[in-house]
Amino acid sequence: MMSFSKEQKIIEIGDLKLGGQPGELPTALFGTVFYGKKYREPDAEAMEGVREFIRRQNELGEMTGNPSVIDIYLGDEENMASRIDLVLEEIPEKQPFSIDIPESEIRQTALKHASEIGISNRIILNSFNLAAEPEELEVLREHPPGCAILLGYNPKDFSVDGRIDMIESGAGYIEKGLMEFADEFGIKNILLDTGATPFDHNAAETLRSIPVMKNKWGLPTGCAIHNTVESWLWMKKYRKEHKAEYLTCDAGANALPVMLGADFCVYGPIRNAGTVFPFVAMIDKFVAEGAEDYFGVAQPENHPRRKLE
Amino acid sequence: MLYPWRGEFIIGSKDSQIAIDTLSSSFDFPKEKVAIWGQHKTENLGIEKIVANVVSNPNIRYLILCGEEVRGHRSGQSIQSLHVNGIDENGRIINARGAVPYIENIPMEAITRFQKQVEIIDMINITDKEQILAKIDELASEKKPSFGQPIVVQFVEREKTSQMKSLSGKISLHKDLLVDPYLDVEEMEVIT
Repeated sequence: MMSFSKEQKIIEIGDLKLGGQPGELPTALFGTVFYGKKYREPDAEAMEGVREFIRRQNELGEMTGNPSVIDIYLGDEENMASRIDLVLEEIPEKQPFSIDIPESEIRQTALKHASEIGISNRIILNSFNLAAEPEELEVLREHPPGCAILLGYNPKDFSVDGRIDMIESGAGYIEKGLMEFADEFGIKNILLDTGATPFDHNAAETLRSIPVMKNKWGLPTGCAIHNTVESWLWMKKYRKEHKAEYLTCDAGANALPVMLGADFCVYGPIRNAGTVFPFVAMIDKFVAEGAEDYFGVAQPENHPRRKLE
Repeated sequence: MLYPWRGEFIIGSKDSQIAIDTLSSSFDFPKEKVAIWGQHKTENLGIEKIVANVVSNPNIRYLILCGEEVRGHRSGQSIQSLHVNGIDENGRIINARGAVPYIENIPMEAITRFQKQVEIIDMINITDKEQILAKIDELASEKKPSFGQPIVVQFVEREKTSQMKSLSGKISLHKDLLVDPYLDVEEMEVIT
């Protein structure tokens, strides 16, 4: 539906291709595994459930053409290696995966581990952000992942400019911009996450930042807008009795960034893949048709526009 | 104004001296024994809400942290760190292990008041309700005076960086971006 005068880069990590002009490539969808109390302990039944979720998301990716990215949530160090191993067992050798690790120390351990077992090039770091401590910066320099998502979350300024400032200068939190650090570390593939914020905390600027960042850097851009829905106070009560309606909002929110040019969505728990993949595939069809009709942007055969006629 | 910041909490007795942060767990408590309680997921905005609401009620003198710690965010450890260490010049909670432990929307006055007004009762990762109820009763018997006048921290909407207007039939997405009616995005040099 829109086209940028700035060249839009397409990046390739293994068999994952994303970026380009809106409508050119399908939206990549990141579904998160191991998030939630259920996965705190390595319970065999829960782990088998995770394997099934991974297979299901990959099947949906094949069916729709929307690239499937398994996003591994790691909240503790003890289970880190076994959880990465589980995902590696389930996905094809060329498929990259992302690691979502809130704590800096565990991120460092995971980056070193990935380097030791020779899979750094398959890692998408989700994310490189303002909370990176000096030790983490050193680890990133020594063991750069194949791809990093730079997070625009800026606690003191949720405006578009504040989010850009985080990536461009570090916004006073760290000595340089995330982009400059990533470049120094030799991270070859960069994705931009605009940093979802809750309602009443400039939530819409999460979305506005997408075309602005794409226009500025020409890099694949997206966000985890489901977090805004999840933190919606009214919905927290309503969803207790209206789960289906909540899931509609949760999946439906992904239409917003995609309509504004997003190249990927981090859509939340992987158990929602069955709803999210067909939904985003439909949005991709609209966007792609508009892109070809008006801007002459053609799509590859594996695009939902071609696969889901 | 009592509890000026909206959030996912339940209000009990305003005269109780106990507030409870249940972290990722969910509990019901006797309303006559507890001033306010609720879950707490994030180590930044969530902590700001708790601080703003606690200092609005000077009768609250104890903050119990209980329930399962929030993995990754470490919201319990982070609010404990705020209470003990405060924040650095960047607003980062000193020694907090949470993902993004920054305080940006409440004044230092409120943080200092929070540190002085309440005693933190560390029951992080205790999920046995009977134990928590026993602690509530124990604290109720250790009466402390009200901490004086309340502090009401209003949530201030951030200053807008720019005001948009549409220009001659085109759409402004942002001060740097102009979109024609067919959504051809081009960069703008100047907008007034």
